[in-house]
Amino acid sequence: MSLELLLIVAFGGALLSYLFGKICPQIRDPFAVISSVALAVMMAFLYGKTMESPFYFGFLGLPLILRTNMLAWFFAMAISILGALSVIFSWDYVKDRERTDFYYLMLLLANASMLGIVFAGDFVSFFVFWEIMSWSTFLLISYNRGRALGAGMKYIIMSIVGSVSMLIGMLSLYAIYGTLHIATLSKLVPSASSGYLLFLFILFGIAFAIKNALMPLHTWLPDAYAESPTSFNGVLSGMLTRMGMYGFLLIIYVIVGAARALNLGPGIFKFNYILAWLGAITIVVSTFIALLQNDAKQLLGWSAIGQGGYMILGIAFGTSLGLAGGIFHTLNHAVYIVLLFMSVGAVQYRTGGQRDLDSLGGLIKRMPVSFIGALLGISGLIGIPLTNGFVSKWLIYKTLILEGHPFLAFAALIGTWGCILYCYKFVHHIFLGQLPEKYKMVARAPFSMQLPMIILSLVILLFGILPGIPLKVINTIGTSFGFQSLNVTTWGIASETGTLNTINIFAAVVAACVIVWLIFKAGPKAVPVAQEDTYAAGAAIPKDRYHYTVDFYNPLYRMISPYFKDFIGGFCIKLAGWTQNVCHGIRQMYTGYIGHYVMYIVLFLALLIFVQLKWSLW
Amino acid sequence: MRIVEVILAPILALLIGMFFLGLARKIMARIHWRYGPPITQPVIDVIRLFSQKSVSHGNMFTLGVLFSLACSLVLILFLPMGKICPLSSSGGMLVILYVMLLAPFGIALSGGEAANPNASIGISRKLTLALGYEVPLLVILLAVMTHYKTLSIVNIVSMQQNTSWALTSLPLFLSGIAYILILPAILGIRPFEITQAAQEISSGPMVEYGGSFLALATIQHGLNLFIGIALFVNLFLGGAGNPPIFFLKMLVVFVLGLFINAALPRLRIEQAMRYLWRWPTLIAFIGMIIVLIIRR
Repeated sequence: MSLELLLIVAFGGALLSYLFGKICPQIRDPFAVISSVALAVMMAFLYGKTMESPFYFGFLGLPLILRTNMLAWFFAMAISILGALSVIFSWDYVKDRERTDFYYLMLLLANASMLGIVFAGDFVSFFVFWEIMSWSTFLLISYNRGRALGAGMKYIIMSIVGSVSMLIGMLSLYAIYGTLHIATLSKLVPSASSGYLLFLFILFGIAFAIKNALMPLHTWLPDAYAESPTSFNGVLSGMLTRMGMYGFLLIIYVIVGAARALNLGPGIFKFNYILAWLGAITIVVSTFIALLQNDAKQLLGWSAIGQGGYMILGIAFGTSLGLAGGIFHTLNHAVYIVLLFMSVGAVQYRTGGQRDLDSLGGLIKRMPVSFIGALLGISGLIGIPLTNGFVSKWLIYKTLILEGHPFLAFAALIGTWGCILYCYKFVHHIFLGQLPEKYKMVARAPFSMQLPMIILSLVILLFGILPGIPLKVINTIGTSFGFQSLNVTTWGIASETGTLNTINIFAAVVAACVIVWLIFKAGPKAVPVAQEDTYAAGAAIPKDRYHYTVDFYNPLYRMISPYFKDFIGGFCIKLAGWTQNVCHGIRQMYTGYIGHYVMYIVLFLALLIFVQLKWSLW
Repeated sequence: MRIVEVILAPILALLIGMFFLGLARKIMARIHWRYGPPITQPVIDVIRLFSQKSVSHGNMFTLGVLFSLACSLVLILFLPMGKICPLSSSGGMLVILYVMLLAPFGIALSGGEAANPNASIGISRKLTLALGYEVPLLVILLAVMTHYKTLSIVNIVSMQQNTSWALTSLPLFLSGIAYILILPAILGIRPFEITQAAQEISSGPMVEYGGSFLALATIQHGLNLFIGIALFVNLFLGGAGNPPIFFLKMLVVFVLGLFINAALPRLRIEQAMRYLWRWPTLIAFIGMIIVLIIRR
């Protein structure tokens, strides 16, 4: 099966869905689902293949090339599966909205362009697909209009800055080496001077750090996540943001290579150290900001910024363990963040778009599948043992501790402990606590929403109990970068400095749960009571009057809120305000009177004459 | 042999945890110039509670308590007690750290479904306090792991057996001091008895528990005491070559903790946070820098 065919199916599926929507709307949704599922199935057959073929020669004499290897396949598989699940989830979610044809076109286009990015064998096609992705994402983020327009504008401005920076890097590569073919460049670039490599890293790094929302270039993400349609959040948060990670892997380990890329730079200001510290700062700051959020999607957005920091920390040190941890965390994060957004989406769908944490509550009794999804999602996010997030975080912590960077390890660990607080807030405020009167009759999520949630929940457990399945693929990627192979078994990683064995933990937890359950069963059966039937130490609590979740961690909020604000986001907004004022001032020049324009010209000429007489520059 | 250890370890921990609960009541009573209940009182209470009626607020309410107790039991298997450590080679310190936070998390999920204002306040306090003491605790544990260059708690214990206790060795002395300063917060005794605060918020997260729920929560509380002290003994007091000496060390630490418990009043949560993020954290960071300097 050729790669051209895959991309034709991906892009063709997007365009045909749009056409079907215009001609015969009933078959549009099934067609979108079938085409994206078919794409995922085709992708599975590509496992383990390595190939490369040019598909177009006409662009400035440069061949446009598609290629695949383990790294590309790994990302492509995740993109196509999560994309297919998001399309299934969208079925009911966008059914009654306007411009659904447009929605499906952009959603499938974003998926297809991501596949294009990972299969691109040269930088021209990489850039073209990168731009298709940015623009289709921009249109979807601003799909809801209103506040979403501002969020989309923020996203596309930052995205363009990144693209321009990447374009300059590509042009310099072309000017020096005369080719943009990635495989050729990876042979030529490693012999370049250190200064030039740093220049490349900074230019490409800006583009990829913006996409991966690494601080201080994260400001687009919280609003974009919060305002885009929740059914698209899966694609946006799962893999689209992590195209930045793919880019980092490409530039650091494929093109420049580990031997040159690590320890590049003077003294302690080495490129990968700076990257690691940025990752650590990202983790700590965004964790505490997430804690202060009261909007479910803003909270998840900030947490996604923080998790991006873990991935960067993992790959920055260039050890086999850390690299495996970083890549594995990219996959794991995609799985659980998509699940969490789907859970929020299901709640929004049934409660009329409500995502304010202080207004929800008690939905566990009405929407059990969404609750289980949210619970497993936050378990993965925290990294509770036997869920997927644990294994990748374990690998990252272990790298940091054994490499002798306890301060970075501290940042990573404290990020996790802060994460528990906002994760509990998330699941407690939505699903536990009091069920408000107005949500007493809320129905379960429709099947098209439950199915992806159930699949992703199972994946979280599968990768947590048998982490060897994805780790073997990741190990192949690591060895293709020239790293030592890890001793991966199906249920963990063995090494002299501390072994991970998930099957032992699994057996112990199952046994303990069974024993405790049996002891509990031996006692008298508990009587179920209504939620109002609680003990309040003699005080009478009026029904539906108080909401116990408001200001949940009040003492902590008061302590941290002066220090953990989005200062950079605030600065960007100020900068935008200033620019607007300056531009507004300049616009005053255009009065419409011809006499004023003549005056400008005369004044300008007078200035030129004055300058010439005074300094005689010309 | 391993199977015997797997069965023996939780039972021993359970007995010692319950013994600690009884001992605590007896010693506190004696400090207050009372006679106090017999030392077996907590065991009698648990048996009585199992036969009493209870109410449930839903599935998560039930499963949360069970999950919390199960996690505490599993954690016992990772902690070396003398020579007994059934799951020594399954992930080391990082797994212990993670499993340690599951027990309060299970109680929080369970209490959360009860929709009780006191439970809500209690959980909020518990999680905030946990974040408070985890900051210095993580620094301390990282200093220990960096110093001994291993993630395995069994190796940490055996290295201390060969040389000297971490608390008395130069690089880890300050870390040990910081650990002692936060130990009451980890154990949840006064002045950090903020979560339960019976007089203020009617036992916080436990307020809705009765009958077998309360029995399980009590057992979990006992195990929690055991785990908190056992971790300290293993990391800083050199563990032990055989179980009796290990339990003796634990007893000494616990009784000292009880004296603090009897002498100090309860702090407010923000006072506790300010204390925890100031002195213990500062000392722990200095300790970590010393470890790094010596390592270089």
